[in-house]
Amino acid sequence: MTVSRTADADAVHRDRARRATPPEGTTGVLIAIAVLAVVLGGAALIAWLVSGAVASALPKAPPYLILVLFVPLLIALMLTALRLLPWLQSWYYLVPALVFLLAFTALPIVLTVNYAFTNYSGQNSGAGDTALKTGVSLSTDRKTLTFKGTLPGDEGTTLPQFLGCAEPSCAGETAVLYDEEGAVPVFYKIASVGGKSVTLLSPVAPSFEVTDATRLNRIRNVGLSNFRQIFGRASVELIPVFIWTVTFAFLTVVINALAGLILGILLYNPRLKGRNIYRTLLFLPWAIPAVITVQMWVALFNQQFGVVNKALGLLGFAAVPWLGDPLWAKVSVLVVNLWLGFPYMMTATISALSTISEDLYEAASIDGASRWQQILNITLPLLRNSFTPILLSGFAFNFNNFGIIYLLTQGGPPVAGRTSTAGSTDILLSWGYNTAFGASGGQNYSLASAIALIIFVLTLGISLVNFKVAGVFEEARK
Amino acid sequence: MTTLPKQDVDGHDTSFVYVHREPGPLRRAAPWVVLGLIVAALIALIYYLGRDMAGRPASFTIYKVTGGWLYFLGFLVVASGVLALTSLIGQRVGIQRTGKKIKYSAVLGVQLTHLFLILVVLIAIYPLFYVVLAAFDPKNSLYAFPNFDAPTIIQRSGLLPSFSGLSTENFAKLFDGVQIPAWELVLAVLAGAAIAVLIFTAAVRRIRHAEEGTTTPTQLWAGRVLVAALVILVIFIGPAQFTGAGTESKFVLSVRNTLLVSGLTGALAILLSTTAGYAMARLRFPGRFQTLLFFIFVQMFPVFLGLVAVYALMYGLGLLNSFTGLILAYSGGAIAFNTWIFKGYVESLPISLEEAAMVDGATRWGAFTRVVLPLSGSMLVFIFLNQFIGTYAEFILANVLLTGVEQWTIGVLLKNFTSGQFNTKWGIFAAAATLGSLPIVALFYGFQGYFVGGTTAGGVKE
Repeated sequence: MTVSRTADADAVHRDRARRATPPEGTTGVLIAIAVLAVVLGGAALIAWLVSGAVASALPKAPPYLILVLFVPLLIALMLTALRLLPWLQSWYYLVPALVFLLAFTALPIVLTVNYAFTNYSGQNSGAGDTALKTGVSLSTDRKTLTFKGTLPGDEGTTLPQFLGCAEPSCAGETAVLYDEEGAVPVFYKIASVGGKSVTLLSPVAPSFEVTDATRLNRIRNVGLSNFRQIFGRASVELIPVFIWTVTFAFLTVVINALAGLILGILLYNPRLKGRNIYRTLLFLPWAIPAVITVQMWVALFNQQFGVVNKALGLLGFAAVPWLGDPLWAKVSVLVVNLWLGFPYMMTATISALSTISEDLYEAASIDGASRWQQILNITLPLLRNSFTPILLSGFAFNFNNFGIIYLLTQGGPPVAGRTSTAGSTDILLSWGYNTAFGASGGQNYSLASAIALIIFVLTLGISLVNFKVAGVFEEARK
Repeated sequence: MTTLPKQDVDGHDTSFVYVHREPGPLRRAAPWVVLGLIVAALIALIYYLGRDMAGRPASFTIYKVTGGWLYFLGFLVVASGVLALTSLIGQRVGIQRTGKKIKYSAVLGVQLTHLFLILVVLIAIYPLFYVVLAAFDPKNSLYAFPNFDAPTIIQRSGLLPSFSGLSTENFAKLFDGVQIPAWELVLAVLAGAAIAVLIFTAAVRRIRHAEEGTTTPTQLWAGRVLVAALVILVIFIGPAQFTGAGTESKFVLSVRNTLLVSGLTGALAILLSTTAGYAMARLRFPGRFQTLLFFIFVQMFPVFLGLVAVYALMYGLGLLNSFTGLILAYSGGAIAFNTWIFKGYVESLPISLEEAAMVDGATRWGAFTRVVLPLSGSMLVFIFLNQFIGTYAEFILANVLLTGVEQWTIGVLLKNFTSGQFNTKWGIFAAAATLGSLPIVALFYGFQGYFVGGTTAGGVKE
């Protein structure tokens, strides 16, 4: 009896051990990804369905209910899956990070790619066109709307034109209805139109008192038209902005690295008394949040009242239009970025220098090398190893360094012949931002997404070079 | 002080074996070619800038000194001459006293380095000094008309303000209409006392040259009290307490909002990246490498590139103008880098500790929570601080997602002071900038070692 029980236990144990080891090779990867996709997708799908049902029953339900539902559903599904496949345990360490990455980084990327091929804008936002709201009356069977008075727009606008229909029958298009308050738009599908009346596919809900109707500004797929717009004007916008972006990132890195190297080498001199005081003080521009200091520089660089021009006046120079002239604005951006960035490079130099063995310098001075020769032949070649990844990541960072451009010059001053969204100091990213959210950009979200897509491709190339040099891929394979 | 992973620079250093090879003529000429190109580019730039300046009106004559740069150059020459003399004296005295041979060029070099560094420090720090002064000077306000009555030209230009006119008027405007209940005041005083204790003990240790890297129980308790008081304050301060009319009266609220968002983002970064980093470092399962590649790949795209999509997503979820939405948007960008850093750290820990624990019957999860996590305190602090400071200074997402004054973070509020054609409030900006940067400056100097170490540890990203 006891013997058979241990045999049973052994069998269970062996079975568990077998199931605890994941399937090997590419199949294993694919199976794991499939299982995780089912778990994540299942939880998301159920949460979506339930929140949809709740929203139709309780219109006041918050839209983020889907997130609240998703978490317990995911945990329940994960536990069930773990019962069946114990080897999933290793994957579960990654699930929290994976969920957030998918939802808030990968999903926006997918959406951006999607928007780049549509006409999504402040106008075409998938909502009713409130500017064209017109009074309507509803028939007794609650299925036919009749427009009162003339339709807004040009003289002689017909109903299909007003509703923006693709075909004159308007079948399958959407009308947006409002009640007296006009707060909550309701969407109804159109069956047909005739004269000034619209027949809906389904009757309007009895609780809803229709007073106004308007058309839906739907988001349409427009193919490559955004890209045609960008590349069609490439010689005045894309190419100059791209050249400045690369110049800005490159010069910033070179200038900051030079300043950091000089200061770092000077401050690493052990004979220099009080070097900790210098180091602590020079650390300050790095320690203060850039979002504050960049705005401070706007005041300091003012042409009439800024302290920089006052100081230059004392030295006998004329007032420089720091932020008002296209060329000087570029210089200002580089100067401010130098001020912001040199402490980082200085600190990096000092900590890299501290790893160089003193023996090398001793040997060199025994051989009669001067201090200058030591710097040239020992320090700089050895610094190259630790500086290459720092310089490359600095380039990648500054390539998309929106903050300094936006806060210092807002991309300006404007350049004649370009749209106002691409000023003389605008980098690619701030150009895209202005297009979507700037006062002058007209909320052209789809064009901004197309610009973002171009930046995606460029960033991808830069990052791949970066990671190759920094050895990230070998490190990951370990 | 720091216990960050050291694989980076040390790895290169120890594996370095020098084999001398005489460089070719091209290699030897390269630095000079580069130097020549830089000089040529500089000359071209100066030419164009000079042409641009031609015909521009001079600045206000009241503080214009014709040929002022000659005076400055003269000052430099005289200073260098004085230093050359004092160095000579110093060298002679040094030789007499110690009897050792001291090179004159070395002494002079150190002296000139001092002169150069003092100039650099003055130029680099003066803007900050000027802003702090402007915060206390209601008449100056960063942007002032020159003061014609001042006695010296330096004061007339506003480079040095008249110290008699200093007041805290600008700061008072920031606290206009703020209602603080007694218990919050007590907590604030408690936090202030804890900060004082921390600064005092740090100063004492500096003077006594105590060894770094250890914390005394007093410091530990002061730190705990400070953190607890701040957390309670940040959670319980609410918009209802700010009854002032202007946007400037919401300053404390914006600091609180920023601290709340940054703190929660930092905590979320730790929560999400530690388990993932541990699994990447220690567990071997099919798909690990591919997932790591996916993490790295996704990290290449900054969140704000998909700004439109993030905005649409948050709009769809009804989370616009809410901290939850902003924190979720930040979290996407916080994961991959921190996972990578934590993975590197776990790999630097000896694996035998976990193996011993697992032999003693601990599960994988037990080994992670009971062995690895307690050992990675310094790494967790680094991840938290890095994320915290990065989030504190973030502008673009906050500017797009937060639309209501009561939700604004400090960057957005400051931008509100400085934008607009006629109603810029530079004096208030200076005061708010001074106060608003204090928390981060304190963190930077308090945890200096972490950041200095971080420059070499995080070679992947700044």
